[in-house]
Amino acid sequence: MSPGAASARRRLLKRTLTGYLFLSPALVFYLVFLVIPIGMSLYISFRDWNMLVPLTSSRFVGLKNYTYLLTRDELFLIAVKNTIIYATGTVFVGMVLALGIAILLLRVRGATFWRFVMFAPVVTPSVAVARIWGGLYRPAEGLANAILRMVHLPPQQWLADPNICLYSIMLIAIWGGIGATVIVFTAGLKGIPDVYYDAAKLDGAGPWAEFKHITIPMLKPTILFLSVTGLIGAWQAFDLIFMLAVGGTEAGTSPVRSVIVLALYLYQMAFKNLRMGRACAGAFLLFLIVLGFSFIVLKVLRKGGVESYE
Amino acid sequence: MRRCVVLVVCLCMLLGLVAATGSVAAAKTKLVWQVHWSDFQVEGVYKGEGADRKLVSKGLRQYVEEYMKLHPDVEIEIQSVPMEEYLQKVLVARSSGVAPDIYGIYSLWGVQLVQNGILDAPPAAVMKDVRENYTPVSVAGATIDGKVWGIPMEVGNYCLVYNKELLKKKGFAAPPKTWKELVDMASKLTIRDKSGIITQYGFAFLAGWESAVVHPYLGLLWDVGGEFLSPDFKKCVVNSPEGVQALEAELQLFKTGGTDPAGSVWTFPQEKVAMMIMASWYEQSLKQGLGDKYDKVVGVAPVPYIKKPVNAGYTWFLAVDSASKNKKAAWDFLMWLTAEVQKPKNTTRLGDLMAETIGSLPCREIDLANHPDALNDLYTKTFVEQLKNSRPEPNVAQGAEIKTILANEIVEAWHGRKSAKQALDDAASKINEILAEFY
Repeated sequence: MSPGAASARRRLLKRTLTGYLFLSPALVFYLVFLVIPIGMSLYISFRDWNMLVPLTSSRFVGLKNYTYLLTRDELFLIAVKNTIIYATGTVFVGMVLALGIAILLLRVRGATFWRFVMFAPVVTPSVAVARIWGGLYRPAEGLANAILRMVHLPPQQWLADPNICLYSIMLIAIWGGIGATVIVFTAGLKGIPDVYYDAAKLDGAGPWAEFKHITIPMLKPTILFLSVTGLIGAWQAFDLIFMLAVGGTEAGTSPVRSVIVLALYLYQMAFKNLRMGRACAGAFLLFLIVLGFSFIVLKVLRKGGVESYE
Repeated sequence: MRRCVVLVVCLCMLLGLVAATGSVAAAKTKLVWQVHWSDFQVEGVYKGEGADRKLVSKGLRQYVEEYMKLHPDVEIEIQSVPMEEYLQKVLVARSSGVAPDIYGIYSLWGVQLVQNGILDAPPAAVMKDVRENYTPVSVAGATIDGKVWGIPMEVGNYCLVYNKELLKKKGFAAPPKTWKELVDMASKLTIRDKSGIITQYGFAFLAGWESAVVHPYLGLLWDVGGEFLSPDFKKCVVNSPEGVQALEAELQLFKTGGTDPAGSVWTFPQEKVAMMIMASWYEQSLKQGLGDKYDKVVGVAPVPYIKKPVNAGYTWFLAVDSASKNKKAAWDFLMWLTAEVQKPKNTTRLGDLMAETIGSLPCREIDLANHPDALNDLYTKTFVEQLKNSRPEPNVAQGAEIKTILANEIVEAWHGRKSAKQALDDAASKINEILAEFY
C-alpha cells in the first residue's frame, strides 16, 4: 500500500470515528432507553417471572407464554379484537370526519377560531376528558341521553351496556383527537396546487370528481402519515378506557371483556397478576400486530401525491 | 498567596462540617414506611386557619414524630403511595434495591410476598401478641400457611348501608333483614323515568371495582353454606349448587328490577341509591357528601342473609421487608405503635389512628372496646358488631388474579350474558388452572 493510500485510509477512519463520536449521545440514548429494554422484554417473554424475585432466578419457559396467550387465554383474544375495533374505528372514522371538517373550514369565515376550538380537546388531560364525558354519559341526568330524548330516541346506558360501551369510549377518543387531524389535513389541502382543480374544471369535472380524482390522491401522503401514526397511538390506548370503564373515577359499570384493550390487558397481567413474562409476550404480539397493520397501510397507500401524476 | 491559604482553610472547614453532619446522619437508623394513606390520614386533621389552626386528630406523622422524639437515633420516613399503585411500587422499589423497611400489606397480596421471601418472619413476641390480642378475622387475614406474617393494622367488613329517608318515604320503617326482604324492597324503592332509565336505585352494586363485586358475593356464598376454594386450595368449588344459589340470589335483584348493572355505590351521597352493601371505611366520604343531612339519611344494618348472617372481611397488616437492614428497629417501632397501651384510655396509638382519624376498624380487641366515641357512632357501630360474623377472604396465591376472574364472571351474569351456572363454571375452570400452578 502506498503511503498516500494509507494516509487516505487513516483520514477516512478518523472521519468515521469523529462521525460516530458525534452520533454517540443519540446512540447511547437509544441503546439505553430502546434497544436494551426491547431486548430485555424479549428475554423476559420466554421466562416465568413475577418481579418479586431477581430475573436471574426466574424459570425459562420457552414459547409457553406465547402459546398460552394465543391458544388458551380468551381474554387476550378478546383484547386483540377490541383493540382492532378501537384502533381502526378511532383512526379511520376520525380521519373521515377530520377531512370533512378541514374541507369545510377552508371555506368558512373564522376558520382559525374553529381550528382552535377543535384543537382544545387535544391538549386537555385525559383525566379531565374522562370526568367530563363520564358526566355527559350518565344514564339518568347526562347530556347525551337528554339529546337522545329531545330527538325521540331511546336513552342508552353508554358506559354500562356491553354492546355499546367500547363505541362510547371510541367516540370520546375521536372527539379528543380530531383537532390535530384537522390541522394536518388543512396543511395537506393547502398544499394541493390550484392548477389541478382549474384543469379539472376545464375538463368539466364536478366537486365529487375533483374530490375523488384530485384531493384524495394528492392527500395520500397525509393520509398515510395520519394512518400510521394514528394506528400506532391507538393500539396503545389505555387511559380513557382505564378511567371510564375498568377502575377509574367515573362509572366503572361495564363488563371488562367488552372494553378491555391490549395495553390494559398487558398492564393488568404485569402489575396485577404479577406475570411479567406473559405480559412481555403479549407486548411482542402487540408489536407484531402494529407492524402488520402499518405494513398493510404502507402497501395500500405507498403511492400518492404529486409524484403519482408524473 | 494568603488569599489561597484562607480559601483552602475555609474549604477544609466546610468539608469537615459536611462530613460531621453526614456522620451524625449516618449514625441514625433510618426506616422507610410505605403507606397507602394520604392527606389527613398522614398529616392529621386540623381545624381553623393561620394562627388559629389546631390539630384535632393526630395523623400518622404525629405518631412517627413522637417516636423519633423518644428515640433520637431513629429516623422514620413516610412514603405515601395510592392504594392502586401500592403493589407496583413495592415491585419497582425492590427491583431497584431501594425497598422500604415497613409495609402495610393487603392480605390478598401476602401469599406471594411470603412465598417469594419478601416479608421478614416476625419475632416470636410479635406473633404471640397478635395471636393473643387481635380479633380472629384480622389474625386470619395476617396468617399465611398457618403462620402470622405481620401485625394486623386495619380490618374491613361489610354492612347494608341504607338511606333512611328514601325507605321511610316508601313506608319502610326498618331495613331488610333477609335477602328476600332486600329483593322485595329494592324493586319498590327503584324509580325509573319514562324511558325506563333508573333515576333512583333500590339497591346498587358497582361492576368496575372487584372488591365491590366479589366481597358481597362471598358473603352470600358462605351464608348459604358454600365455599369458594377447597381447604387445601387445590380446587375452586364456587360452581357448587350453593355457589349458583348465591349468585342467583344476586340476580334476583336484577330480574325484579331492583337494580341494573349501571348502578353505582358512589351515587349514594347524591341520594340516588336506597341501599347498598358497603365497607366500613366509607364513613368519611358519606359525611363529606351528605354534609348536614348525614345523620338524617344514613342508616346501617347487618347484610341481609339467606340462611345465616355472614359478611366477607379483609385485612391490611404491617410487615417488615426481609431485605431491610434495620429489621429489629422496624419491629421495635411497630410494637411501640401497635402494642404499647396508653393510659388512661387503654388504647394503642395505631388503634387511635385507625378509629379517630382514618375511620377504619382497628384490629386489636382493646382498641375496639375502648373507642366508644369513634366506634359507637351510627355508622361504625354495626360494623364492629358484625365483626363476629365476618369471614376473611382466603389468602391464596395469585389472590388478585383469582379475584379478578371471579369478579369478571359475576359481572357477565349481572349483564345477563351468562347464566349463574355458566359464569361460575367458567370462573372455576380458569381459577383451577391457576391453582394447579401453585398448589
